[in-house]
Amino acid sequence: MGLFGMMGISASALSAERERAEVTSANLANAETTHTDSGGPYVRKEVVFSAANSSPFQTVFNGLDSMEQPSGSVQINQIVNDQTPPVMRYEPGNPDADEKGYVAYPAINPVSEMVDLMDATRAYQLNASAINAAKQMIQESIGILKTT
Amino acid sequence: MASPVNMIQLLQGYLHVTTNRQQIVAANMANVDTPGYQTRDINFQQAMQQVVNGNNGPQLEPASLSVEGLPERPDGNNVNIDRESMVLSEAQLQYQMGVQLIEDQFHNVLTAIKE
Repeated sequence: MGLFGMMGISASALSAERERAEVTSANLANAETTHTDSGGPYVRKEVVFSAANSSPFQTVFNGLDSMEQPSGSVQINQIVNDQTPPVMRYEPGNPDADEKGYVAYPAINPVSEMVDLMDATRAYQLNASAINAAKQMIQESIGILKTT
Repeated sequence: MASPVNMIQLLQGYLHVTTNRQQIVAANMANVDTPGYQTRDINFQQAMQQVVNGNNGPQLEPASLSVEGLPERPDGNNVNIDRESMVLSEAQLQYQMGVQLIEDQFHNVLTAIKE
């Protein structure tokens, strides 16, 4: 624990936010995908974060066993499918059209995906600056050795 | 006047407290998008009191408490990025100060040896 534990916590956030950005980019890339392996249009996905080992008891307990994930770190709990029904567009010429000529498009709003992506980027930057702070503090404490 | 050794021990405790605080801030920042997460912090005064009183028993980490009075978002998360950035730089500067003071103590000891 201590400063290296702090870097571990921030690193867990970096990977969680990167995963979130990845899922958001996949949503953006597939905003017009009408055909998937499982049939039907692409389904929008969303990540759900959860705090790992955040109870005070876990905090003390994890101090005894450094192999555990540091308390307070974040993890991806699950990736859920958005249950919003697909948007039907009248495109009789499309090979994916049903017998009435409607094509099911995924219900993805590019604007809200972009906002989500920006949010993930900002959170990534925030945690990267926390890692920089920890690094600087470690270097300062190394400076004690250089006292002459 | 306190001897340099005592001072260094006290400052070591101070660094320990600021490091703990820094770690909790990192946890708050990491959970900025976790639904239902509540901002935590340590009671700095209480933790320092423990250090000054020389509580040398089995050291438990200072218990963190939820911070009151922060506006909550609809998903039950109340992490405020501005507050966390502020506390991060604050704890960083406090740590820097502690390190400088320890270096100063060592410097004094060295001067006493040389003179």
